[in-house]
Amino acid sequence: MTVDHKPHPKPVQYVQIALVLGVLTAVEVVLYYTEDTVGVFTNPLLIILAVGKFVIVVGWFMHLKFEDPLINKFFTGGMILALILFAIVMFERAAANFI
Amino acid sequence: MTKIIEPKKQSNIFKRPSSETGVWSWITTVDHKRIGIMYGYAAFFFLLVGGIEALLLRIQLASPDNNFLSAAEYNAMFTMHGTTMIFLAIMPISAAFFNYLLPLQIGARDVAFPRLNALSFWIFIFGGGFLYSTFLFGTAGAPEGGYLAEEVSRLGSAPNGGWFGYQPNASMKYSPGTAMDYWAIGLQILGIASLVSAFNFITTILNMRTKGMRLMRMPVFTWMTFAVSFLLAFSLPIIAIALFYVTFDRQFGTTFFLTEGGGDPVLWQHLFWLFGHPEVYILILPAFGIVSEVLPTFSRKPLFGYPAIVFAGFGIAFIGFGVWAHHMFASAISPVAQAGFGLSTMVIAVPTGVKIFNWLGTIWGGKLIMKTPMLFSLGFIGMFLIGGLSGVTHAIVPADTQQTDTYYVVAHFHYVLFGGAMFGIFSGLYYWFPKVWGKMYNETLGKIHFWLMMIGFNLTFGPMHWLGLQGQVRRTWVYAEETNLAFWNLIVSIGAFIIALSILVFMANWIYSRRKGPEAGFDPWDARTIEWSIPSPTPVWNFSKPPEVKSLDHFWHMKYDEDEEGRPVKKETADAMLLELEKEGLNPKEDIALPNPSYFPIVLASGLPFLGYAVIYKSLPLAIVGALLILIGSFGWGTEPLEEEFIEDSDDE
Amino acid sequence: MSDSQSYPHEDTGVETRKLGMWVFLSTEILFFGTLITTFMIFKGRDFPGIKLSDVYDIPFTSVSSFILLMSSLTMVLAHNALENGDQEKTRVWLLSTAMLGAVFLAGQIYEFTEFYHKGFELSSNIFSSTFYVLTGFHGLHVFIGVVLLIALWGIGQRQNGLSLDGGMNLEFVALYWHFVDIVWIVLFTVVYLI
Repeated sequence: MTVDHKPHPKPVQYVQIALVLGVLTAVEVVLYYTEDTVGVFTNPLLIILAVGKFVIVVGWFMHLKFEDPLINKFFTGGMILALILFAIVMFERAAANFI
Repeated sequence: MTKIIEPKKQSNIFKRPSSETGVWSWITTVDHKRIGIMYGYAAFFFLLVGGIEALLLRIQLASPDNNFLSAAEYNAMFTMHGTTMIFLAIMPISAAFFNYLLPLQIGARDVAFPRLNALSFWIFIFGGGFLYSTFLFGTAGAPEGGYLAEEVSRLGSAPNGGWFGYQPNASMKYSPGTAMDYWAIGLQILGIASLVSAFNFITTILNMRTKGMRLMRMPVFTWMTFAVSFLLAFSLPIIAIALFYVTFDRQFGTTFFLTEGGGDPVLWQHLFWLFGHPEVYILILPAFGIVSEVLPTFSRKPLFGYPAIVFAGFGIAFIGFGVWAHHMFASAISPVAQAGFGLSTMVIAVPTGVKIFNWLGTIWGGKLIMKTPMLFSLGFIGMFLIGGLSGVTHAIVPADTQQTDTYYVVAHFHYVLFGGAMFGIFSGLYYWFPKVWGKMYNETLGKIHFWLMMIGFNLTFGPMHWLGLQGQVRRTWVYAEETNLAFWNLIVSIGAFIIALSILVFMANWIYSRRKGPEAGFDPWDARTIEWSIPSPTPVWNFSKPPEVKSLDHFWHMKYDEDEEGRPVKKETADAMLLELEKEGLNPKEDIALPNPSYFPIVLASGLPFLGYAVIYKSLPLAIVGALLILIGSFGWGTEPLEEEFIEDSDDE
Repeated sequence: MSDSQSYPHEDTGVETRKLGMWVFLSTEILFFGTLITTFMIFKGRDFPGIKLSDVYDIPFTSVSSFILLMSSLTMVLAHNALENGDQEKTRVWLLSTAMLGAVFLAGQIYEFTEFYHKGFELSSNIFSSTFYVLTGFHGLHVFIGVVLLIALWGIGQRQNGLSLDGGMNLEFVALYWHFVDIVWIVLFTVVYLI
């Protein structure tokens, strides 16, 4: 059985990463409450924060950053496929309903 | 001689089963070959059932103003015919081929996850049984204000919303009763089986190839298995959710697809066809793979353009995800979507064309051996081409608006699915028959089967092209005399019975040849790929020692050199080598480890229908039984020992 | 396949079960993608009736989200402990992860009950249906994860320690658990905040 011994972060680093995640979550909640001030930037910022947290957990906790590129291709491939297909469906439904 | 030793260590609560013969050994098997055989027989049984459903439809339509079937029964029959043929016949037959052949073609002992493999099979069996239990327990009521008899017979008490279950027709309001729940939940269960297989095959192909079997040395059939697995893996989750939505709408009062509650019926179409279109490529790619194996063998030439065929296969799979809304051109989707999908549908003809040219290139200049597998593969090219051409005409949106919901579409998909997939499958069944059973089928009966089927098939589906363009509408139980459709409909129905006759010939050949057919030897076709280098019938351990592959068509190159003009010249040592190979194949020199059989796949699978019935009949006890079976199955699976059966090495040198 | 050491073969260099788990997770993207897309398609529509924004409690959900995020930390610490051979710590972190997961679930149940009492039911309208089915499936996945974690902990207890090679491997359960977390990261933003 091929057992891979990839390098991984130490416990202390994991805690630091978790702290970052916590901070990002806090910013998200703050953004929710300051929506009026931030205005039209709110949603894009929220999305960026969510994507950031997503990438951090996938890359470091799930170890994808350190894994074989093949696994990366599967996961990223699935994500891109999903994003494209669902974007088309959403646009089509929006267009059909509002045009 | 070799003998199988029982596992020595039993370190946990559950002993693994160890019988080799009898029903119990089949129930607990994890051997890919046995699983493949069981898939094959079960799928063929459902093929016959689906065929009978078709014959009933054709009897009804053989003459105008007929009432052989009531409207309710007709709706049930065409729905079950489509659902059965797609999910219970073609997909499982393809699974039979994948299961049996994949490890052999890549030189492995078994798949990556043998118990998961068994699980797929048992879920398929229970799912099919669950779906068909509708005829025993299901009810199909009359929708408010609709036209249906008060009392619906048993034959009509089956899913009746089409295999595609369009909303809101398939909602509780317009399809009261339980039949459409059997459909939604049945498909849900069947989907799990295929999804699980997909992981298995992807992992197997990536990680279990024998030494030297680089990806670009794999047989085309293996590549198509790979592509199909991706299609399954990424499309099934979408329909799983969609089917949950249907069940929730019908059983729990939600309104995902019902406008009364703010829902959107077109969303169902999107989600269904997001799966449904990749599904049709799932149905055809295995046949592409089979034909790509048969044509070179019976043309005595290598496959023309191997890399092109591989990449075209993946191109089709990939683009296949981008054409789904061509099933929705008439469903009030936005014009931009219509244009986009019309374009992508035309584009997908390109890689398909590439494959056809490559197959023709394979045959061109070859020394053709016109045995039954070759006849079916040649027939495949012709029939699939016709179906592909009518398919391209659908890509033109205004033309499609005329063709949609007419028999023209029925003609198209039967040419590609029957003339394409089924012909390819028959080609494969004849081709690998000697490998699986060790006997040769009867060639004369094979030819009779082929010609009867060709004639019957074209008589059945050819006229549907013009019947459709003349206005015969799909899914309609009766047509009036005045429509002038009677003559060709009668021809169509006669054709259907000729197909049935040809199937009887096939069955007779199969049964007779398995018993009394001549011994086939391990390489009766002088073939190219490594599954032909081991004894027939395949020994349980597949390869007595792991093969080491040096090139594409490795087995061929073991037997043949090439002269200056590229023509094959049999090596002098070939015959002696083949004899040695056969002896070695039957008598492994070392201990061989095989995965152990297990009870837990069937236990786990058996819980699913209970959950299904629990949802339909709102029964907590049934739900608990189902959940317990799943839990016990999972827990036992996770904790049973992993040691394998050992096959003691042979005593002779 | 245990005899693969004696059966020379070509492979990708990635351990087979890990590969299988990543393929599975890639398909789950499509699964949750469909649920999220459906939710988003209906979110902006003009339809009368109770909406999620009428009933939710952002501070409460924020705390739940934070708890689930922290469970990913304890999960990764459990894996780390196992790699270092510390069985005792592994079990502690495993149990912590399971408990954080259970707290998250309890929070969800509490939330849903509150919403229900305010008239936001499964079949109220399309907004409630999409909400409950989306978050419900996520919750189901969390539940299965908690069961897997407790099962691992139990096996560790009984067998006097988990091996990195065993049948039910901690690494794969960890991958599943993190996946459930990242789905929530998306859900929290898309469902509650935006």
